[in-house]
Amino acid sequence: MDIKKVYMGRSVEEVVRLLGEYENKAKVIAGGTDIVIALRNKVIEPELLIDISKVEELKGIKEDEEYITIGSITTFTEIVESEIFQSNLYGLHKACKMVGSPQIRNKGTIGGNIANGSPAADSVPPLMALDSIVTLLSIEGTREISLEDYYYDSIKENELLVNVKFKKPKDNQVLTFAKLGLRKALAISRLTLSSFIEFDDNIITSIRVASGALAKFPMREKEVEDYLLGKSLNEETIEGAIEALRNSMDERLKGRPTLPYKRIAISTILREILEEALVFEKGVKAW
Amino acid sequence: MVDISLTVNDRLYEISIDENMRLIDVLRDELGLIGTKEGCGEGECGACTVIMDGEIVNSCLVMGFQANGSNIVTIEGLKKDGKLHPVQRAYIEAGAVQCGFCIPGMVLATKALLDKNPNPSDEEIREGISGNLCRCTGYNKMLVATKKAMVYMKGE
Ligand SMILES: Cc1cc2nc3c(=O)[nH]c(=O)nc-3n(C[C@H](O)[C@H](O)[C@H](O)COP(=O)(O)OP(=O)(O)OC[C@H]3O[C@@H](n4cnc5c(N)ncnc54)[C@H](O)[C@@H]3O)c2cc1C
Ligand code: FES
Ligand code: FES
Repeated sequence: MDIKKVYMGRSVEEVVRLLGEYENKAKVIAGGTDIVIALRNKVIEPELLIDISKVEELKGIKEDEEYITIGSITTFTEIVESEIFQSNLYGLHKACKMVGSPQIRNKGTIGGNIANGSPAADSVPPLMALDSIVTLLSIEGTREISLEDYYYDSIKENELLVNVKFKKPKDNQVLTFAKLGLRKALAISRLTLSSFIEFDDNIITSIRVASGALAKFPMREKEVEDYLLGKSLNEETIEGAIEALRNSMDERLKGRPTLPYKRIAISTILREILEEALVFEKGVKAW
Repeated sequence: MVDISLTVNDRLYEISIDENMRLIDVLRDELGLIGTKEGCGEGECGACTVIMDGEIVNSCLVMGFQANGSNIVTIEGLKKDGKLHPVQRAYIEAGAVQCGFCIPGMVLATKALLDKNPNPSDEEIREGISGNLCRCTGYNKMLVATKKAMVYMKGE
């Protein structure tokens, strides 16, 4: 590490101004659970490190008529402990609960998870299934981008990730999540899936499915969505959804040594997220 | 150098540190609190666990200057008036301490768990110490120790 200067950020305004002044020579640090290792391994070598972990404006989960907004420095633990993610948004609770260890969850933030850009960022598939919007701020102004497009036009060096927000779910909509890792604790997830489904009398009237670590970055699984839309969930359609996902993986991961394993592995977690949605739809509590 | 002030084990320190120091470096090299151990240096083992503003964190993943204004508890802070903390006593009695390297972090993780949840289930205990690796004991002794500590802490 060869940091020349550190700054204890107090407001969004001054953090954004500093990021603008220092251009590519400054980095922000939130929970530090990714960046401290990167600094020590000299993967990045900023001159200025700006701590944003105490900036009030970036903290907490807010709800208004239309949206739920999660401030970028909200930790995994705060999401796990929030009442908002207890019923039909349980999928995000489950994803955050399965991150790393208690120590990592106490420090790791939702903004850091997105900004770090890992294909295995666990909070991203559920947020993507919710069709979330990311707010980025720089001295040039504010930019709102859907999480799905974010990976094609991701955060710039002078931008601060302010929050991520999504529309409040209706009573007939449910978010589910599943992760396959060798150990629950600490295994950075290899495979994750999340679905956000709207039911009307057993029939799926709207669906978004997102995956983690099935591609270079988390992405929507449109083939699965197209297959399931308009159907009801049962043994046959769950098998059909697994087949649809396998077909699109075969193309995407052609020739990759991990493909045979991933083809088998996804059946377990795709089944898990759909069965959880079914349990919700039938009015039985899964949690 | 950067000036910070932080409270460690109820004592206020006002010090000047190198910008590149992590919290574990501040504790061990600046304050001489060498009870906090460095194992992996990558957030995997929990040997460097301390309690920061009421929550366990890996001090190898926190930058020293980020601890400005914080309240830190390390293993040295658990003993009160010459008496071991109930969790420390329980660990010794249960034979949960072998080589001892993981123990400072393990004890702090156990204490933080019991402070938040005085009646954890077996699963909650295992989850609470899941960020702390021990190469000696196989973790069952930690479970026994935590259950003893639950009883001691209620008696206090
Ligand atoms: C042992 C261990 C286990 C882990 N397990 C998991 C796991 O199971 N699942 C998982 O998804 N992740 C896991 N992680 C990775 C990590 O904990 C997460 O990615 C976490 O969300 C990172 O957040 P942070 O606040 O610590 O980020 P930092 O380390 O503070 O920052 C990460 C990057 O994002 C940038 N950044 C952070 N916040 C902002 C912002 N608001 N605006 C702009 N840029 C920003 C930083 O500049 C840096 O480049 C693990 C890490 C460790 C060490
Ligand atoms: S030394 Fe910090 S987690 Fe291993
Ligand atoms: S007692 Fe040796 S590592 Fe735990």
